[in-house]
Amino acid sequence: MTSIKITKQKKTITPLSKRERKRYILFEVLNAEVNEKDFYFGFWIDLLSFFGSKGLAEINPKIVLFKGNKAIVKCARGKETELIAGTAFIEKIRNKKVILNPVLTSGTVKTLKEYAKIE
Amino acid sequence: MDVVYAQPLKELLAVSTYFKEQLIVLVTTEKDEKVAKTNSLIPCYLVSEKTPQSDLQKLSQKKKAVIGGSVSANEFAVRIKADYLLQPSNTKQFFDLGLAKKLSDNKTIVVLMFEELMKANSFERHQYWKNFVEVVRYCKLKKTKFIVASGTKDPLLLRPPKVRESLAVILGLPQELAREYIEEEVKSK
Repeated sequence: MTSIKITKQKKTITPLSKRERKRYILFEVLNAEVNEKDFYFGFWIDLLSFFGSKGLAEINPKIVLFKGNKAIVKCARGKETELIAGTAFIEKIRNKKVILNPVLTSGTVKTLKEYAKIE
Repeated sequence: MDVVYAQPLKELLAVSTYFKEQLIVLVTTEKDEKVAKTNSLIPCYLVSEKTPQSDLQKLSQKKKAVIGGSVSANEFAVRIKADYLLQPSNTKQFFDLGLAKKLSDNKTIVVLMFEELMKANSFERHQYWKNFVEVVRYCKLKKTKFIVASGTKDPLLLRPPKVRESLAVILGLPQELAREYIEEEVKSK
């Protein structure tokens, strides 16, 4: 009987220069106060219906931070225009009418946090 | 600039001021026009082929908008040199290079009324979107101005200029042109 030796492979770290580039967009939610969970679902559902699975996977949006009425959303670089356009279709979150206003786009979260005065 | 229908003007004005944007209000009567002017909004008369010739003559010095779509409505817009040609979100749109050229010569702006597109279900939306991509392609070739407007009565359905610019970009308009057309200042006639 032969025994199989299981060895733990070290996880390789992709160098910074080879990682996929990202863009961060600061949105402000106008008119209604929504919590993070509601915002997440409302945001996701409307974008998915407009872009479809493939389109949304390419944009790869992720909510990085949600505080007060401001949200920082991460997406693939070059896809920020599509993401902003897609937010036009977000009409209601949990039956509350909202307007998502894209305030600023940046390459780092730090810039956006400083601009929005979020700690 | 954004194009909307005249309804709760004060709320519309509040939202548009927040977005720092000029609002063009579509009106049908002189009373509506006066209300729009008192609220420091730019009135624009909504006319159609059924509008009597006498009324059209009265409006010769004023801003006019036509709801296009059919061949006759598009030709009417070209004939009266309308300032705005509102493109409805339907599958029966007639738009070609010749029309785009005439509109470009008349400095008519082609407007996509976004709220109509938003109301549609996803299947209809894909058909409308297909048509609009074609309209934008012709507009781009003949340098006809094209903007995406909120086209709504509800102030909470107004969309920020950045969002509408992005919609125009994903329809196929270059970013610089989309920005230029949306940020263009409109003078009241």
